Amino acid sequence: MERLLEVKDLAVSFQTYYGEVEAVRGISFHVNKGETVAIVGESGCGKSVTANSIMQLLPMPPAFYKRGQILFEGEDIVKKSEKEMQRIRGNKISMIFQDPMTSLNPTMKVGKQIVEGLKKHQKLSSSQAEKKAIEMLELVAVPQPEKRIKQYPHEFSGGMRQRVMIALAMVSNPRLLIADEPTTALDVTVQAQILDLMKEIQEKLGTSIILITHDLGVVADMCDRVIVMYAGKILEEGTVDEIFENPKHPYTRKLLGSVPRLDMDRSETLFSIKGTPPDLYKPPKGCPFFDRCDKAMVICKDHMPGKASHSKSHYSSCWLNHPMAKKDAEGSEE
Amino acid sequence: MVEPLVSVRNIKKYFDVGVGMLKAVDGISFDIYPGETFGLVGESGCGKSTAGRTIIRLYEPTHGEVIFNGRNIYQLSRQEMREVRKDFQMIFQDPYASLNPRMTVEEIISEPMEIHKVYKSSKERRNRVMELLNLVGLNEEHALRFPHEFSGGQRQRVGIARALALNPKFIVCDEPISALDVSIQAQVVNLLKKLQDELGLTYLFIAHDLSMVRYISDRVGVMYLGHMMEVAKSEELYQNPIHPYTKALLSAIPIPDPKIQRNRQRIELEGDVPSPINPPNSCRFVDRCPYATDVCRKSTPKLEEIKEGHFVACHRAREF
Repeated sequence: MERLLEVKDLAVSFQTYYGEVEAVRGISFHVNKGETVAIVGESGCGKSVTANSIMQLLPMPPAFYKRGQILFEGEDIVKKSEKEMQRIRGNKISMIFQDPMTSLNPTMKVGKQIVEGLKKHQKLSSSQAEKKAIEMLELVAVPQPEKRIKQYPHEFSGGMRQRVMIALAMVSNPRLLIADEPTTALDVTVQAQILDLMKEIQEKLGTSIILITHDLGVVADMCDRVIVMYAGKILEEGTVDEIFENPKHPYTRKLLGSVPRLDMDRSETLFSIKGTPPDLYKPPKGCPFFDRCDKAMVICKDHMPGKASHSKSHYSSCWLNHPMAKKDAEGSEE
Repeated sequence: MVEPLVSVRNIKKYFDVGVGMLKAVDGISFDIYPGETFGLVGESGCGKSTAGRTIIRLYEPTHGEVIFNGRNIYQLSRQEMREVRKDFQMIFQDPYASLNPRMTVEEIISEPMEIHKVYKSSKERRNRVMELLNLVGLNEEHALRFPHEFSGGQRQRVGIARALALNPKFIVCDEPISALDVSIQAQVVNLLKKLQDELGLTYLFIAHDLSMVRYISDRVGVMYLGHMMEVAKSEELYQNPIHPYTKALLSAIPIPDPKIQRNRQRIELEGDVPSPINPPNSCRFVDRCPYATDVCRKSTPKLEEIKEGHFVACHRAREF
């Protein structure tokens, strides 16, 4: 498998009036060509900051890269100038956002918004670009594209707008698509349509996708591998099957147990995780899940556990999975 | 036979939007029995929130009646209504917007008690606030703080404490957990269940998250464009859905288990929900329904009991 993107020990902070907020605190992961990787986690865990820092979309200041590298096709994005980024953004890496209404320009016809990118990145003439825009809308299954390119975003429904966003993101056939909660604002039946569309386009064009979501159902539906983030750290990563069937980190277990499933017995109680995630102004020295974990030990408070490997693709950061630990995360004696 | 606590009879709520009548709720009927949770699901714009608000008369209804404890509350005067209002409360979706940022938690929770003059002294009222805080898993220190000092889950707890202040019988929960993270959702849902057991509350639980609705509700109603499409016991509805819309809706929810999810067949719905302004006199779902026939285009199907306790509004329900 060829690596398209490799993030190495990335740390991103925000300088605020009250001090430094350490949003992402040293994460490493990679994305292979043609695969879909999910980043899951609760609000404030740093998943969107990670996505935006790959695109260099964070406002700097207050944000700054503290350390680490983001290698995209071997080149470090952290070191790129704004001018170089403009050639990458929307061309090699594209992004779609949660709210299609705020990410489309309301005063500009939809066709023009697509044409704009084509003219800039592919140097097409106006008529060629318009033809391509119609093709793109066809690709994302917007009915009557000739008529639709002359309309404004408010004339589109939520699902149709998200289709336009995908068309916009895919015009220059990017290698990597970052989808930040692409279906959160949509209804389930529309969500299903959009997810199918993304899969279909990925098959056709071979794009890699980073899917940021908090919906574990969407992850199970879409992804090859999963990265679980919490308080700016990666706590566990593995293939979808490994994460859903054999989660090794107590947080992942709790997270999976806290969503009701359509096929679960109603008398079962949902796991709830007590408390709330830590404040990232003063992130804890040790494991960030320490004060919410019911298996926490003395060592967890002050020392962040290293990565323990469970298979070639499955890693977790928990002292219970340390080779010297007496008990494993399931609590059984080994 | 247990008498229903709330009996909703053919309620309608129309909004005049200039270009026509927006029929947000267009004649829905159902009963809610004491101590049960009735779930109301549907996609955005289907009228579920409007229905919830119309039922407790936060919106003046266009038509219909709601029998609460044997009285039609739509016929009560302002004065009488105020008395009855103590018995039903509401928990809102957005815990950020539904608490006054300038009031302390104690003021927020005691406000309904002041309005209804339930306690003579402020000391008694204060004790009640503390009792309520403990009940929802907060503590006395929280009383003097302001809403912005709390996380989303804690704010929702404050909203719940306020709703419980007057010992209501019936609570409308309008998407109470959609703004919260999954781990916090479970906390709030478990709290709502615990309170129901301890205080014998009756809930109308409105949500678009079908797996959560199934988990918390005894019976579920599915709405589409202002109409009730199907009502059944929660297990029955999810195991044997009859209405084509319910089937499509259920098949669209991704199950958080990759093995099952990979092998599931989705019933794909084409197009979007049509406009609720001046809808035609047909089945509301007709344009997106794979089974639609001529009769579906000509008349609106009534909600009929197909099996015991399982109601469906579809002309072809008996064929499925």
